[in-house]
Amino acid sequence: MSYGLLAPEIILTIVGLVIILLGLLITDKSKNMIGYFGAAGLVVALGYVLKTMTAEGSFFYNALVIDPLSQIFKLIFLIVSLMVVIASISYFKDNRNQDEYYALILLSTVGMMVVASANDLVALFVGFELASMSTYVLAGFEKKNPASLEAALKYFIIGSLSSALMLFGMSLVYGVTGSTNIPVIIEFFKTNPMMATNSLDIIAMIFLVAGFGFKMALVPFHMWAPDTYEGSPSVVSSLLAAGSKKMGFVAAFRVLVLALVAIRIDIQMTFAILAVITMTYGNIVAISQRSIKRMLAYSSIAQAGYISLAFVVMTQMSVAGGVLLALGHALMKGGAFIAVALVGYMVLSDNRNAKNLDDIGNFAGLGKRAPITAFSLLVFFLALAGIPPSAGFIGKFVLFYSITIEAVAQASNWLLLVVIIAILNSALSIYYYARVIRYMYVLPPNGEKIKEPTPYVVAILLAVIGTIGIGIYPEPFIQMAMNAASVLGV
Amino acid sequence: MFSDYAALIVLLPVIAFVLTLFLGKKLPHGGAYLPIAAIAGSFIISLGTFLEIYPTDGIVQQSMPWFAGMNLGILIDPLAVVMLMMVSFVSLLIHIYAVGYMSHDPAKPRYFAETSLFTAAMLSVILSDNILQFFISWELVGLCSFLLIGFWYHKPSAAAAAKKAFLVTRVGDVMFLAGIVLLYVNMSEIITSRAFSVGPENFILQFKTMFEAIPLINPTQLTYITLLFFGGAIGKSGQFPLHGWLPDAMEGPTTVSALIHAATMVTAGVYLVARTFPMFAATPATLSAGVPDSLLIVAYVGGFTALFAATMGLVMNDIKRVLAYSTVSQLGYMMLALGTAGAVVGAQAVGISMFHLISHAFFKALLFLCAGSVIHAVGTNDIREMGGLFGKMKITGTTMFIAALALAGIGIPFINIGTAGFFSKDMIIEKAFEYGELKGDFIPYAFAIIAALLTSIYIFRLWFMAFTGKPRSERHSHESPGVMTRPLMILALFALFFGFAHLGFYDYLNKNFELMTGEKAALEGESLQMSPIIVLLPVIVGVLGLLISYAIYHRRMLDMSKLVSTQNPLYKLLLNRYYEPKIGADIIGVKLTHDVVAQSGEFVDRKIIDGLVIDNIIGNTLFKLGEFVRKLQTGVVQNYASVTILGIGLLIIILRIKFGGT
Repeated sequence: MSYGLLAPEIILTIVGLVIILLGLLITDKSKNMIGYFGAAGLVVALGYVLKTMTAEGSFFYNALVIDPLSQIFKLIFLIVSLMVVIASISYFKDNRNQDEYYALILLSTVGMMVVASANDLVALFVGFELASMSTYVLAGFEKKNPASLEAALKYFIIGSLSSALMLFGMSLVYGVTGSTNIPVIIEFFKTNPMMATNSLDIIAMIFLVAGFGFKMALVPFHMWAPDTYEGSPSVVSSLLAAGSKKMGFVAAFRVLVLALVAIRIDIQMTFAILAVITMTYGNIVAISQRSIKRMLAYSSIAQAGYISLAFVVMTQMSVAGGVLLALGHALMKGGAFIAVALVGYMVLSDNRNAKNLDDIGNFAGLGKRAPITAFSLLVFFLALAGIPPSAGFIGKFVLFYSITIEAVAQASNWLLLVVIIAILNSALSIYYYARVIRYMYVLPPNGEKIKEPTPYVVAILLAVIGTIGIGIYPEPFIQMAMNAASVLGV
Repeated sequence: MFSDYAALIVLLPVIAFVLTLFLGKKLPHGGAYLPIAAIAGSFIISLGTFLEIYPTDGIVQQSMPWFAGMNLGILIDPLAVVMLMMVSFVSLLIHIYAVGYMSHDPAKPRYFAETSLFTAAMLSVILSDNILQFFISWELVGLCSFLLIGFWYHKPSAAAAAKKAFLVTRVGDVMFLAGIVLLYVNMSEIITSRAFSVGPENFILQFKTMFEAIPLINPTQLTYITLLFFGGAIGKSGQFPLHGWLPDAMEGPTTVSALIHAATMVTAGVYLVARTFPMFAATPATLSAGVPDSLLIVAYVGGFTALFAATMGLVMNDIKRVLAYSTVSQLGYMMLALGTAGAVVGAQAVGISMFHLISHAFFKALLFLCAGSVIHAVGTNDIREMGGLFGKMKITGTTMFIAALALAGIGIPFINIGTAGFFSKDMIIEKAFEYGELKGDFIPYAFAIIAALLTSIYIFRLWFMAFTGKPRSERHSHESPGVMTRPLMILALFALFFGFAHLGFYDYLNKNFELMTGEKAALEGESLQMSPIIVLLPVIVGVLGLLISYAIYHRRMLDMSKLVSTQNPLYKLLLNRYYEPKIGADIIGVKLTHDVVAQSGEFVDRKIIDGLVIDNIIGNTLFKLGEFVRKLQTGVVQNYASVTILGIGLLIIILRIKFGGT
């Protein structure tokens, strides 16, 4: 058996470990090079994943699989990590602990990629924990900043609770079926239909949902997210919102098939309620935020609500829509957080002791002070609000369309209502995005024009190109998402 | 080999646009060499493609699927390739000239970036193989013209002119878009009724598919579609009644005027009609239902515009405005050619019209660049303040005289020696006469021949007033630098000698639509035997106009002061441009649109939406709700954990209620 298809994970692990070793050997001054090394590793892995987008394979007694679903999510994780690493070259310049930072980013990426490939509950849990442990540390990486420490601590406590719940759910599944391998579990329920209506199944499923919902930041498992996104270094928020959040979705896609195909419990209504509450809650609370990172955190919760609409109907098209929106959201939200990091850099260069770097007041006149950043934020905000041509529009369009089709097919009025609420929510979100856009372009600047550091600009432009590119030429991405969705066999 | 790189024709100027925009400040001459090199590349590829496909009568087709049965693609047929060569060549010369002309302007990088994008957009219009891509590029052309006309945006008149150009052409664009929608509806109906198939090589809005589907489209609908397309062409090509923006568009730099008027924007409208000519030609005349065929409308609008604009050209004192009305008038000729010759010789009309379009591009670009050279030298646009420039500006004076000869269409009939305009314009006038013979309707011919006389008068009036007589201002004028005069000389050569290519040109373009659809062109017209006087008449009126201008403006044999006074109602009418700006701007613009629409819109916006709904009701309520919910976010991690557990409890309860439990 050849492990060629796992090359991206292997490469990243090696690069991550080499970075730690390097950190011990080289001087603090030359540590600024490490970021480039990490980025190079990510580019190689990314290239490899792009080359094997349609590959299939299974490894380690079927614990890990490579299929279009795993590959598209790996693509998301790698792109986000790459953006974050590039932006971090500026953000953590001259920090003497850079080596640990980059190593942790790479290892958390490996964890996310393992989850994307996981075909076994244990592998899934291991990947989940690898990614979570690394990000706990990353969230608290600015040791001298109390907000960062608080963010990390809250994230860690709620994260541990969720992990425990998830593990408990998995153990219940194992108890019922005697296996942790997902296809085997499905097969078991098919051959023993008696076991498929056990109330233990429901509890197991809910515990799993709670575990994944924590990463996805679904209401009511979302409470940690605004505090953590706000307190963490902006580049880490970018990784959390754009990358590790999607880990929850891919895990849910892989496991919830169980609920639908095997256990046949009707989770449609439950997920519809969760999704609607999540998106409405996120959008409404986002309106009154003055901290842009908090606003983005709530908007991220709202987006999680949209994406989880895919679980409501679980057709091939709706899953494809969910995957597309996840991809789009990774680009838009990742880019937006990095842009906020750049604004923080700008404020600090005005005044070294500034507080509340992401206050909306600091965005006044950004169009004049940092034109590339302001324009990119404009693109991200419009895309997040779902205005074409953008990745946000394509994702929402496919998703809402798939639910409308299903609503018509089932002659279900409440499903239609869900779609209408989702569309109204999209319209509502424009309100708070437009407020920031007004600050950026209408209000007068409160400082000089700055030179935007190249690494930030490269990372942001990557996201802008992706966001608009998918909007203009969506066909191959829709195809990719449809392929990914077909893996689930729904 | 060149045709494989056809996409680069558009991409090179786009790349130059990006590079110039970002790096222009750091490069010499504001980065002017980037667009020049890029457009030179476009020209070389266009020329190479032409040399490749000309001997074999080939065409270049490349396309890839886009979405919903539509595609992105490239179509280079004879019609497109001659346009490509003309646009890239003229644009190249104008760019070179602009290095000198714009040398004192601080915003050079922006200028060169925008003109480069403008050229790219126009080339993309020409290359499009489907109507949607055509429309998108067309809109981009409109956007760039807005940016360039308003290039000196600190000048209020320039900002106003840019706005006017944008809004007026938008009227046409909306019609064009409506035409595309109507066409799309019809095409999808045809496809779903399975009378027609669209395969992977055949996309729904591709020109090829459209032409094949013509017999299947409901004739009345076809008339509407073509008329809506023509509406778009009226806006873009400044035909009556949407011509008002073109003269005002002179507010931009003169090089921009040359680019808009000669090479790019205005010809897009004519190109649209030429491109979709089979559809126009297929519209039936159902006069009983009160609907004439579309070609008739094209002919009348074109003919009327030719005459109408020429009358205004007679009295304008701003050198650029004279040329602007001249452009409107000449575009009228091109439309007239499509309309009348279309009825007489079918698809050959496209060749006749395009030949005039291209020869016009040469001499009109030349006229504008000469005007720019003059303005550069004397520092005013008013021809009343010029005079006696010939002694100081020999090259500009000579080349401008050549251009004027070409515009007036002067040459020697029967032995076929003459300027470019002689061949191209006389052909149009002759076809208008044949149309009169055929249909018993000589009105288009009358439009054409009277306009020809006026054309000759106004252009030589301009030349004599500027270059002869005594200097009327103190300013010290000088000949322009070589980088400006050399493009003039090149263009002058084309204005003089391009006409000799006419027979080959007509032959080549006649094959155009056969090559695309693989069908023979429908109509083969037989040439009527015309009396010598008809052949001679266009030249006679041209020379007559020259003599009249010579007598009045050079020899001063007639005292014009009586005629040219604001007491004379006719002069006043013309000078005020038929009060069209007044009617358009004051009555329609201000009174109707602004007072009624804008005021009520403002009322709704400010009082109802902004005041009431958004701020007071929705805004405040949501904001308060948000504040309330925000309080739930206590920041205490124990509460967070409790909420998580509470959530799980609620989920279990919901599911248990739903299933009753086992």
